[in-house]
Amino acid sequence: MAVTTLTKSDRLGGFRPNGLLLSTLGAALCVALPLCVVLSFILTTQSDVWAHLVDTLLLRYATNTVALSALVAVGVVALGVPAAWMIAFYRFPGRTVLSWLLLLPMAYPAYILAYTYTGVLEYAGPVLTWMRAIDAPAWLMAPILNIRSLPGAALMLSLVLYPYVYLLARAAFLEQSANLMEAGYTLGQTRFAVLRRIVIPMARPAIAAGALLAIMETVADFGTVQFFGVQTLTTGIMRTYYGFGDTAGAAQLSSVLLGFVAVLVILERYSRHRVRYYSDQTRRLNQAAQHLTGTRALTVQLLCAIPVIFGFFIPTVLLVNWTVFEAQLQSLWLLAWNSFALAGVSSVLIVGVALLVAYANRLFPSRQLSHMTTLIGLGYALPGVVVAIGVLIPFGSMDAWISAQLAPLGVEPTLWLSGSLFAVMFAYLVRFLAVANGNVVSGLSRIRPSLDHSGRLLGLSQGAVLSQIHVPLMRSSVLTAILVCFVDILKELPATLILRPFDFNTLAVRAYELAGQERLIDAAPASLCIVLVGLLPVILLNRSIGKL
Amino acid sequence: MTEHDTAALYIRDLTLEYGRNTVVRDVNLAFKPQELGCLLGPSGCGKSTLLRAIAGFQPLSSGEIWLDSHLLASPGVSVAPEHRGVGMVFQDIALFPHLTVDENIRFGLTAWSAAQAEDRVRELLALIGLEALGARYPHELSGGQQQRVALARAMAPKPSLLLLDEPFSGLDTELRGRLASEVRTILKSDGICSLLVTHDQREAFDFADRIAVMHDGHICQIDTPYNLYHEPENAFVAHFVGPGELVDATVVSPQAVESPLGVLTNDQPLAFEPGTAVKLFLRPDDLIHDDASDYQAILVNKHFRGAHHLYEVRLDNGVVLGCFAPSHHNHTIGESIGVRLDVEHLVVFPITAVGHG
Repeated sequence: MAVTTLTKSDRLGGFRPNGLLLSTLGAALCVALPLCVVLSFILTTQSDVWAHLVDTLLLRYATNTVALSALVAVGVVALGVPAAWMIAFYRFPGRTVLSWLLLLPMAYPAYILAYTYTGVLEYAGPVLTWMRAIDAPAWLMAPILNIRSLPGAALMLSLVLYPYVYLLARAAFLEQSANLMEAGYTLGQTRFAVLRRIVIPMARPAIAAGALLAIMETVADFGTVQFFGVQTLTTGIMRTYYGFGDTAGAAQLSSVLLGFVAVLVILERYSRHRVRYYSDQTRRLNQAAQHLTGTRALTVQLLCAIPVIFGFFIPTVLLVNWTVFEAQLQSLWLLAWNSFALAGVSSVLIVGVALLVAYANRLFPSRQLSHMTTLIGLGYALPGVVVAIGVLIPFGSMDAWISAQLAPLGVEPTLWLSGSLFAVMFAYLVRFLAVANGNVVSGLSRIRPSLDHSGRLLGLSQGAVLSQIHVPLMRSSVLTAILVCFVDILKELPATLILRPFDFNTLAVRAYELAGQERLIDAAPASLCIVLVGLLPVILLNRSIGKL
Repeated sequence: MTEHDTAALYIRDLTLEYGRNTVVRDVNLAFKPQELGCLLGPSGCGKSTLLRAIAGFQPLSSGEIWLDSHLLASPGVSVAPEHRGVGMVFQDIALFPHLTVDENIRFGLTAWSAAQAEDRVRELLALIGLEALGARYPHELSGGQQQRVALARAMAPKPSLLLLDEPFSGLDTELRGRLASEVRTILKSDGICSLLVTHDQREAFDFADRIAVMHDGHICQIDTPYNLYHEPENAFVAHFVGPGELVDATVVSPQAVESPLGVLTNDQPLAFEPGTAVKLFLRPDDLIHDDASDYQAILVNKHFRGAHHLYEVRLDNGVVLGCFAPSHHNHTIGESIGVRLDVEHLVVFPITAVGHG
C-alpha cells in the first residue's frame, strides 16, 4: 500500500482508478446492493399480498413501530438523563464505579433480556408464585403477567439502549464550559434558571442524538418484538416473506421501514451537527460539581444503580443460575465454535475492507470518494431484516441463473449463494462496515499527515513509514474495530436467521429457537455466552472514555 | 469624604487563598463611577483570581469588597453572584451557543418588560455596530463580533460594575488593539465603571483611565498609563510597562545625576543624598541618535520599524541601550554613532531595591 502525499496536479486529476479506489467502490456497491434491490420494488407491480397488506396490516405494523419507538424514546431518556446528570454534577462515594456500571446493559441484546425476564416472570415462575402466596393484589400481578406486550418490549429495549443517551448526555454535561454557567450567574440568573435556560437546552441535541440512536435500534429490532408477539414492520417483513412467501411484499414493507430509518438518520445527523457547536473544550465543569454525603449520597447512589440492577445484574444472576443448575443444552461447544468462527472471520474481513476504504480516503481524497464513504456509513442504519431481504433476492436470482447454466452439465440445482455462509458474511459486511470504518478512521485521523512527512524527511521509504509509523499507531484501533464488529455479529439475529445455511446454528439463532419453543431456561447458556463476550467492548469503551 | 464613599468599587485589605497558597495579598483598590480601570500583570500574578472574587466565584480569606457602598463580600459575607450587579466578559467569550445574538443580549433582562428589553437590545446592537446580525447564532460570527456581543450581553442589565477577564486574548494582535480602544469608547458612552484584566501593556494603555500593576499577588502601583510609563515606582513596573534598561549612575547634586552619558538634571529634587550610587532607568525614547553628540556608542543590532529604527547600542562600559533613530538614518551594524540623552524626568531607583519586584 502506498503511503504518499500527492502533488496538487495529481489531486486535481480527480478519480483515477487504482486498487484502493476500486476496493472502496466495491465496498460501496456492496452496501448499495441490498438498498437498491429493496427500493426497486417500490416501482414494480403491486402484488396481491401487498394490496392485502395495505388494507389490513400495514397500518398496524406502522402504528406499532411508531408507538414502540415513542415509548422507547421516553424510556431511554428517563433512564439515561438522570443518571448522566447525577454522574456529571455530583460527587459521591461509588460515583466512578457507577459511571461505568451504567454502561453494562449495552452488553445485552434486547431479545436476551426479553427471554430472561419472561423466564422469571411467567405464570409458574418464582415471582408470580410468590406473589400469589402472599395474596398480592391483581392489579400488581397483571402488568407482570402482561410483560409480553408492546409496553413490555419497550421496557426491555429501554433497559439495554439507555446507555446511548447516558453516554451522550454525560459528555454534553461535562463539556459545558463552567464559564457559561458563571456568565448566567453574572447576568442575574438563579441556579435553577441557569439549569433551565443554559444547561438543559445545551444538552438537548446530545440527548436527542442518543434517543434517536436508540430508536434506530428499536425499529431494527426483530428478536424482542417477535418473542413478545408485537406486530411491527420487522416482524411483518418476516411474516410476509416466510408466511406468505411473498418476496415483493417483503421488499415493499422493507422500503416502508427504510423510510422510517431515513427520517431517523436525518434527524440524528442534524442533532449531532448541533452537538458540535454546543461543545466546548476550555474549562470543564468538574470543579463546579457538588459534593454529597449521607442520605443525599445514598439516594443518588440508589437512583444511579436502578438501571444497572434491572438492565444487567438481575438478568445476569438469572442466566448464570440457569446455566449452572438447570439448563439442558447439549451442543453449546459446537454453537460457540460456529458463532466465534463466523464472527471472527467476518470481522477480520470487514475491518480489512474498512482499512482499504480509510486509506483510500486519506491518500486520494475526492468528492466521489467521500460520497461513497457516506453511503458505506449508512449501512449501520439498515435493519438486519432489510439487509437480509436485500441480499436474498439478488442472490436467489443468481442461484437460479447459475443452476440454469449448469443444468445441461447434469448438476443438480441448489442454493449456490443464497443459502451459504458467503451470503451471511456479505450481509454482515453491509451492516457493520460502517462500525469498523468509524473505528479505523478515528485511529487514522490521529496520525497527522505531518507524521508521514517527518518520517519521509527523516529518510524512511513509503513502506517504512507504513510499517514503522502506521502499524504501531493503528494497532489498537484496528483491534478495537475487530472486537466491536465481532460482538455486533455475535448479537445479530435476523440476518443470520434468514441467510444461514440449512442446519447451521449460532448462539443467537439457537437462543431464539429455544425461546420460540418456550424453553427459556435452556436458552440461558447460549445467551450468557453472548452477554459475556459482549462485555468486552463495553469495558474497552469505558477505558477509551477514560477517567472522568 | 473618604475614598470609600466616593468609589464605585472599593476593595480593602483583600487576601485570597487557594488551599494554603496565598494568591492575592493585602490588596487595596478603589475605582470611581464611570472610571475604566485595569489590572495589569504577568500570568499567575493573581489578577484573574481577584476578578473572580469580585464577581463572587472565589471566597475571601480576609478583607472586604464594596460596590456602590454595598458590602459584597468579606470572610463572613458573600452576596450571590446573581445579586451583585456585576457583569462579566469572559476570556473564552462564553456566548450561549444555543441562543441567537438577540437572545444572548436579552438573556439577563428577565426582570425587564418586553418592550424595554427590546429597546435595550436594539440600543446595544447599535452601540456595538451589529444591528443587522441580531438573528445570527454565535458560531456564525467572527471572533471580534462574538466578543462585542459578549460585551453587549454583559452591559445589558446595566450592571454597577463590568469585569473583563482577558477578553481580547483569543483574538489576533491587530484586532486586539483596535477592539480595546473600541470597547473603551463603548463603555465610556454608557458610563459603566469597568475593570479589565490583561497581561498586555498596550491593551491596558488603549483601554484604561487608571491601571493597577500586579505582581506576585500584590499591587505595585496604581496610576494613569502616562505616569506608569514615565514615573514607575519600582523596577518591576518600569520593565513591565515598556522596554528600557538600568544603568549605573551617581547622584551629584540634589537635582542631578552623573551617568555614562553625562550629567542629567531632573525637573524636581531627587529623593537621594548627593554621592549615593543609584540605578537610572532609560527607555529607548530617552536616548536619541545625534551625529553631533560627544558621546559615541557601537551599533550592535537594529530593528527597522518603518517610521523609525530601533537601534541597540553598546556604551563604553558595556551596557546595551535601546535608541530610536529616524527612518532614513540607516547605519550599519558595528559602526560607531553619536548618541545623547534627552530626559526631562529621571527614573531613579536605589540600588538595593532593583531586581524584579
